[in-house]
Amino acid sequence: MFRSSQRVLILLAAAMTMSGAAMAQSTTITFRFNDTEAEIRGAIDEFQRQNPDIKVDLQRIGWRDARNQFLREAAVGQGPDVVHSAQVWVKEMGDAGATLALDSLLQQSPPANGLADFVAQDLAKNSAGKIFGLPWTTDTWAMVYRSDLLKEAGIATLPQTWTELRQASAEIFKKTGKAGFGFPAGSSASGAIWFLATSYWWSNGKALIVAKNDGAYDIGLTAEDIADCMKYFKSYVDAGDNPKANLAASDAHDPSILQALVTGNQAIGSMPPNTYKQVLEAYATANPGKPLPFVSGPFPKGSLTRSSNIGGRMLVINAHTKYPEAAWKFVRYMSSEEVFSKFYRTQFPAQRSLLKKVDFGPELKGFAEQLEYARSWGAYASGPIPIGTLWNLAGRGFGMVLSGQRSPEEAAKELLQEVRKLMPQKS
Amino acid sequence: MRSRLFIFAMLAPSFTLLALFYAYPIFKNLSMSFTDLSLLGMSRGGNWIGLDNYREILRSGDFGHILFNTLIWLTATSVAIRLLLGLVIAVLLNSTALRRLRMQTIARLGLLIPWATPPIVAVVIWRWLLDPQGAVNKALVGLGILDQPVAFFANVRTVWPAIVTIMVWNTVPLIALSLLSSLQSVPEDLYEAAELEGANQWQVFRYITLPFLMPAILVLGLMSVFWSFNNFVYVWLATGAGPGTLTNVLATEVYIKAFVDFRLGYSSAIGMVMALVMAIFGAVYLRLVARRQLEESL
Repeated sequence: MFRSSQRVLILLAAAMTMSGAAMAQSTTITFRFNDTEAEIRGAIDEFQRQNPDIKVDLQRIGWRDARNQFLREAAVGQGPDVVHSAQVWVKEMGDAGATLALDSLLQQSPPANGLADFVAQDLAKNSAGKIFGLPWTTDTWAMVYRSDLLKEAGIATLPQTWTELRQASAEIFKKTGKAGFGFPAGSSASGAIWFLATSYWWSNGKALIVAKNDGAYDIGLTAEDIADCMKYFKSYVDAGDNPKANLAASDAHDPSILQALVTGNQAIGSMPPNTYKQVLEAYATANPGKPLPFVSGPFPKGSLTRSSNIGGRMLVINAHTKYPEAAWKFVRYMSSEEVFSKFYRTQFPAQRSLLKKVDFGPELKGFAEQLEYARSWGAYASGPIPIGTLWNLAGRGFGMVLSGQRSPEEAAKELLQEVRKLMPQKS
Repeated sequence: MRSRLFIFAMLAPSFTLLALFYAYPIFKNLSMSFTDLSLLGMSRGGNWIGLDNYREILRSGDFGHILFNTLIWLTATSVAIRLLLGLVIAVLLNSTALRRLRMQTIARLGLLIPWATPPIVAVVIWRWLLDPQGAVNKALVGLGILDQPVAFFANVRTVWPAIVTIMVWNTVPLIALSLLSSLQSVPEDLYEAAELEGANQWQVFRYITLPFLMPAILVLGLMSVFWSFNNFVYVWLATGAGPGTLTNVLATEVYIKAFVDFRLGYSSAIGMVMALVMAIFGAVYLRLVARRQLEESL
């Protein structure tokens, strides 16, 4: 009896020791991702297979709430270990003490092709030069067209300037009765009109916030510049070639816009590549075997150039993580060629060496072309006013004009006043 | 003395919970409203700036417009329609006609559907229904009432009625069912006596039914006002406070200032203004309206 009890105790102790050792070896990190799980699940599973001592718990959150939720959590020492972040949030998150400076980790185990291989590195550094994020993906918006509707309206070549775009949109509406350039004209705090207005200003050599030679910042637009841009986009809504219903749409991926493109009720759109891929997939599903009647092209040219912002995402590590090495290992793997070639194929990599290997295909040719003209937010991101505030103010201003509450002149004046109030006072 | 101690001991846990979950957050919010605390500087804390946030609110050009939206559209209009419609539905559900048709149970179950629908689902359903390609527009155009479909959430004339419609649809069942239970407590002999005296239907409703319903109406009215005034979800999900700033209300302004502009201190000050407005309303309502009505009806 005594002997058998002793055996049981010994076995129990051995089992506990073994499970304790196993627990000590296994590290669990949390990764918060802001897009669909299907896009990234394969890469996470492969990372876990290659690193059996690290388990990755995937959390998901929408982009709209991602930044605020993480900042709230990090302020009290909580939150996921690795976070999916927009490029323009990284500097402010680092300054807020929410994310880990990666300098020492980068020195210990740098990415395969070095840091210089990554685009948008300037957006990862704070004013002291510390690096808080690793650029992960990159993209830019481009124009997308229904080639069948262009043909029906007798338009042989893609519009090259903002004026040509306006004319093409009106022509399509007149000749086919379908919407021309249907853009999201809503005015929510994260409305897509911000991207269109910014591209319009940049292509004309202007910007809402500019950096001066002495390191200070200034407003780079006059009320006339803003009113001119507002009038341009308002003309689409007033003439009806952008349906008034789009005043209630704020996102590029608004279902009504995507649906209109898929069904052929709209000829022209403007969106990031992953949204465009959704349109292509939806069309292919609805029309099996039919050739895709879509073509992409770069943004229209202004008086100076074509322009759009180079967007993208970074991976950041929570300043309060208990496992910085495991988190960094995961971040490095997520940026590897294996991930972009085998698993995460809905986005373009942020590394120049990998970007060169991407086969854009004929439908995405316009996006590849636009990437050459794309630029980073620059003074918008490094300037004194949070980019979200500028975005909200511009969206509200445009919204008031497009919905007919204010004249372009009044709204432009008000927008400038609001931005001026937020600029640091000159001594 | 011993019984007082006993009462105090029995109440102490409740008071402690109230202090923890109500008083502490209120005082914390109040102290934040006197600072320039930013969402990006939460770990550092904010600097004391006294009444600057409150001064800025009162001087802000938008404050009047936002307060008007909150008081008139979000609160007064939606509460008035909700109470009126709730009363009509309750009377209908209690009617002998519905009883004769044996439709009471089905009608009550049907009424529960909007109430059981989460606000986000309600907004999605109604955005779809009121879309230019949606069922409402198709019906209105089909019946010849409209020449062209209307973008209800984008048109400055229709956006507020559209939001109020969603709010009323989603919440009127609570009012109707609460009033229905009060209606069923009216003694039948009062109706019989009124009938013997030759009272018409309006007189019966005015002098018998309504006085019995008044306590419930007053309580539901007060609750609805608090709930509507502080409501965020319907406006934010339906319009994002747009087009422009047309449907911006105090609750959405709190969100925009805190989580778009990162100004937690300023946002807290707006929250305190909201609390103050509701506290004043509650005190005046109870003092001038509710107490008199309750005394009369009891």
